[in-house]
Amino acid sequence: MKLFFLVFGVGMCGLVLLCLYRVTWGPTVLNRAAGISAIGTKTLTILLLMGVIYDRVAMFIDISMVYALLNFIGSLVLAKYLEGTGDVSCQ
Amino acid sequence: MIKDSGDVIVKTLARLLAPFIVAYALYVVMHGHHSPGGGFQGGVILAASFVLLAITHGVGMMRRKLSERVAEVLSSVGVLIYAGIGFLCIFLGGSYLDYGRLYRVFGGSEAEARSLGILGVEIGVALAVMAVMCTIFLAIYKVGEEDPRDGGRK
Repeated sequence: MKLFFLVFGVGMCGLVLLCLYRVTWGPTVLNRAAGISAIGTKTLTILLLMGVIYDRVAMFIDISMVYALLNFIGSLVLAKYLEGTGDVSCQ
Repeated sequence: MIKDSGDVIVKTLARLLAPFIVAYALYVVMHGHHSPGGGFQGGVILAASFVLLAITHGVGMMRRKLSERVAEVLSSVGVLIYAGIGFLCIFLGGSYLDYGRLYRVFGGSEAEARSLGILGVEIGVALAVMAVMCTIFLAIYKVGEEDPRDGGRK
């Protein structure tokens, strides 16, 4: 079963790379913002999978909760910044 | 300029989330010595609740709850708690931050005094980090406020 979670985690890392492509070469700022949010959610899952693999789920749940919280606040701050500039079409 | 966001969903979500953020920060501070986290991480989560308040209800609301002056005083109080516990251990005959000596103040056994001493130091660190993070946020905000030519714009 541990092998399953390991393969699943490595697959999630590959998906993070796909999102990173969108963040790096995204045509507009909104694409980048969506990519950053998706990377945050995937990192959360990878953290929990690491907890399962190392048999310390209780410890990794603490870390992942903080990560989810900061990810939420981060995307909110990014949205607020874009609202302030009013320009979402810039490269 | 960070104003009150008129959005009902964001404001309600922030209002519902804020108590849980503060409770979680206190949990991280309290369990810092046998799980991930501690004073610094708890302080950062506490500061995150203030930043969430600022970006949803406007910086004016955050200044009403925690002005720059209060933040400066709180950061100094946090350092005072840390250094005070350290020097208290020297006065009680140990070395700096030798919590075992604190059993004369707290009572109980030496092991309990060590646990309580670490908790006291972490509360001091959390206060200082929370206040300094809020000071940094308000200082960055103030730079954008002073220059009306590019307020909030890069």
